[in-house]
Amino acid sequence: MINNLINSLFEYWPVLWPALAAIGVILAVVPFLGLYMTFVERKIAAYVQDRVGPNRVGPFGLFQAIADGIKIFLKEQLIPDHVFTALYFLAPAFSLITAMFALVVMPFGPVATDYKDGFRFIVAPGIDIGILMMLAISSLSAYGIIVGGWASNSKYSIYGAIRSCAQFISYEIPLGLSILGVIAITGSLNIEKIVEAQSGSLFDWNVFWQPVAMLVFFTAALAETNRLPFDLPECEQELVGGFHTEYSGIKFVLYFLAEYTHIVTVSFLTALLFLGGWHFPGLPGPSGASTPILLLGLGVLLAKVSLVVLVIILLRWSLPRFRFDQLMGLAWKGLIPLGLVNLVGVAIVLSLGLPKHLLIATVILPVLGAYYSAAKFNASTAIPNATRQGLSPQGAVSYE
Amino acid sequence: MNPLPIDPKNLPLVSGDPFQGNLAQILLLVILLGAVAYLLLQHGLIKSKMMAWAGAGLFAFAALMAFTSIPMQLDSIVRMCFSILAVAGGVAFVTNREPVHAALGFATAVLSSCGVMFMQSAYFIAAATMIVYAGATIIVFLFVLMFAQKAQLQWYDVQLTSPVIAAAVSTSLLLAIAWSVSESGEILPVKLDLTRPYSLAAPGPSPGLTMPPVPEASMTQEQLDAFVPGKTSGLGRSMFTDYLLAIELAGTVLLVATIGAMVLAQKPERDLS
Repeated sequence: MINNLINSLFEYWPVLWPALAAIGVILAVVPFLGLYMTFVERKIAAYVQDRVGPNRVGPFGLFQAIADGIKIFLKEQLIPDHVFTALYFLAPAFSLITAMFALVVMPFGPVATDYKDGFRFIVAPGIDIGILMMLAISSLSAYGIIVGGWASNSKYSIYGAIRSCAQFISYEIPLGLSILGVIAITGSLNIEKIVEAQSGSLFDWNVFWQPVAMLVFFTAALAETNRLPFDLPECEQELVGGFHTEYSGIKFVLYFLAEYTHIVTVSFLTALLFLGGWHFPGLPGPSGASTPILLLGLGVLLAKVSLVVLVIILLRWSLPRFRFDQLMGLAWKGLIPLGLVNLVGVAIVLSLGLPKHLLIATVILPVLGAYYSAAKFNASTAIPNATRQGLSPQGAVSYE
Repeated sequence: MNPLPIDPKNLPLVSGDPFQGNLAQILLLVILLGAVAYLLLQHGLIKSKMMAWAGAGLFAFAALMAFTSIPMQLDSIVRMCFSILAVAGGVAFVTNREPVHAALGFATAVLSSCGVMFMQSAYFIAAATMIVYAGATIIVFLFVLMFAQKAQLQWYDVQLTSPVIAAAVSTSLLLAIAWSVSESGEILPVKLDLTRPYSLAAPGPSPGLTMPPVPEASMTQEQLDAFVPGKTSGLGRSMFTDYLLAIELAGTVLLVATIGAMVLAQKPERDLS
């Protein structure tokens, strides 16, 4: 019986070891990335606020992240009296598990779609529902927050959990809608094939014919990471710490590692689905390529990913937080109609057999939407003209 | 297409054995016994903890028997673990008195069944179940439970209002499922009909097919692709030809549910007098 098991292990070994190796790479790199993203975030925050930022530990403060990590590992384990212990411990772990699990179907380097044996830059290659799987797993990441908030058994935590519930359910819909257009034209849910369809010239990248889809996807995905313009579940000014109010030490770190893993996932997905993945004009594709070409492709992909990460971090330090009704309004009145109109456009182009680059005209949609809502906002608030030009009696600053 | 090159004679994950006749009878017996036990539990005839432990022991014994009878392969072991977790989650869902814990048990059961589906290479249905049930439905359940929960458990958390009806309905549902899986050929898991055009979509088995479908060495690459569909169009084709009736019914149910939600969400008119 055990022999059978060992035999089947041997039988599966050629397809098993690349997966195990890729899992090893992800497990090794992602926490490290998370650690260093805190450093990058602090540096960028400092520059945005005209400060210097961490610069004491190591050259340019590079070891600050490691020092922070060691410090937080050595913190005392505080367990409040009123929590439901088992779920209280499970929730942060579940949060990190779901965040990491979403990386299973995500290629983190050039992957050829003929899937040769040997090491590949993906854990599970050739999953034909790749992007759907990604959505499915990311929809589970709400559990970590909800269960954590509930198990903490304090009112701030539960408010955070409830807010996160509503936010997740609302933003799932535009997230799914936005990629439907890409899927419809590519004809596959497989992420590697979606990237392969963007090979060729620069203008084959999906962003050049699905700009609205990219906007909607990026916004909705950002909302699912609980980062600052959308950080209602943990906003410090209202809810102390939101769902992680009662967490300290290593459990708190798990939550934050999960958040940074989400950022990595979102950035990778944006780069893969819309920015051409590992393709760059002049660079040959990964099929049958030599190792230097593969490494170059990896570099291209990582460069695009870090660009998106930088945008996400900069967004955090430049945008104010939404009010909750604005948050819901953005999803239901902004993103979902945009996604639907975009999908209709794709359907028209597909069924009439038009060239897909006509769809770049959809870029006018968000502009029109923004103009319309701004006009509506101005009409509804009805600020007197004098105030609006900064000439109010108190000499107040302009609203615009 | 597939990381494992498809060797038609040796598909690793497809098990095509139909259920035998006496297995169906055993299923019938198990379902009826379960219904009786449930009713006894609800009427408070079984109260001692010994009985609960006996049930757990029986379950462990059954799991052990299953483990010894399945072929000791990596995939079958993983699948078995998922199955056991699913049953355990279901038991936790039914027996837990804390509503939130029960909902989490439900989530465990759903996610573990998704794992079983993944191990059976039913990727799409697994991902769809994860999105719809685990990702949306149970989260809404939790949302409501957290909002509406009182400090103490209410009587309706502990006691069912009409256990007999619940037992009858669930027994008939389980019987329907058992009947449909034991009648081999009634529910067709995969169809290899590349000839039928979209416009002739009709529910039911397509003519001239033998079930269950087995990939053969004589198949062309196109037919093998249809066996492991890699394109979204294949999925859409299957949904709107093979499963047309189910899709339309589900759409109708969703429409009715949407209208119901709108009706329920309307505030009752205040009496202004």
